[in-house]
Amino acid sequence: MSVFRRRKGETPVGEEISYPSIASLTPRAKTAVRGRVVRIVKQPAQGLPTLLVRIEDESGSATAVWSGRRSIGGLDLGRKVVIEGVPMASPTGLRFFNPAYTLLP
Amino acid sequence: MKIVIAGAGSVGRYMAEQLSSTGNQVTLIDSDASAVSRINVSGVTTAVGDACELDTLAKAGLAEADVVAAVTGDDEDNLVISLLAKQEFAVPRVVARVNNPNNEWMFNEMWGVDVSVSTPHLLTAMVEEAVSVGSLVRIMKFEHGKAQLAEVTLAAGSPAVNCRITDLGLPRETTIVAIMRDGHVVAPQADTPLHQGDEVVVLMTGDCEADVRRILIGASAS
Repeated sequence: MSVFRRRKGETPVGEEISYPSIASLTPRAKTAVRGRVVRIVKQPAQGLPTLLVRIEDESGSATAVWSGRRSIGGLDLGRKVVIEGVPMASPTGLRFFNPAYTLLP
Repeated sequence: MKIVIAGAGSVGRYMAEQLSSTGNQVTLIDSDASAVSRINVSGVTTAVGDACELDTLAKAGLAEADVVAAVTGDDEDNLVISLLAKQEFAVPRVVARVNNPNNEWMFNEMWGVDVSVSTPHLLTAMVEEAVSVGSLVRIMKFEHGKAQLAEVTLAAGSPAVNCRITDLGLPRETTIVAIMRDGHVVAPQADTPLHQGDEVVVLMTGDCEADVRRILIGASAS
């Protein structure tokens, strides 16, 4: 898939690249999805700062989890992002653990 | 189940043999080819390479693994392997071995560890369990401490002696899972009476340790 060949400074990520829809993702397959941030939860899990960011596209939603941080600059509500990582199934839908992210304008 | 074990020391090799003999599909990784080759059970797949490298883990089939066990003799390696297994391969269950108990605080979700096993802590619990009567010994924790298994040997002064389990008034979060009496395991029923000297194994969830102490040990216990 072309999205994986993307490197810094190469073709800008964004509208022109087509990403799979969130609903079509299969757990444990490395992927990249585009969506909008609809919820940010700062949740200390066992005393560790944990950031849960829910992203949504037309088809569904998934959660990105970053351990050890309380916020990520630029990752605000309503922001369009590309999340790249390996989703895992969880009771609350697909979860990305420490995914790579790209903020879209 | 597909299980990948990182670290072919005596611990890793033993686990591989045991888990393979119970019908699991086991892959053993180590950077030392001679350590890997020392495994003498057919059916265990071996992979030679650094388990802290993504390539090695991918070759060992982490993408399809149900469980990964990081059991090298090096805590740093075990943490890196756990993190990679969770972050890069979304392995559902990651088990890690703690070598130095001072490092145990790091073996948590932040590093992708679902279950950590610390031999020094287990040994301490076992020794404590062997020498103590009339106090609560924590044997094992599950789900990052949300549930724990504890043991109480009933002393003569315990309010639970000669009580039936149903009359103890244990909190809902607490279950007596086994009673060891005169070298036998008694499966606890509601009407099972407790005797002095019984080793009572209790599963506790949530914060009910104080209640369990009060009921099984008595008011004098701190």
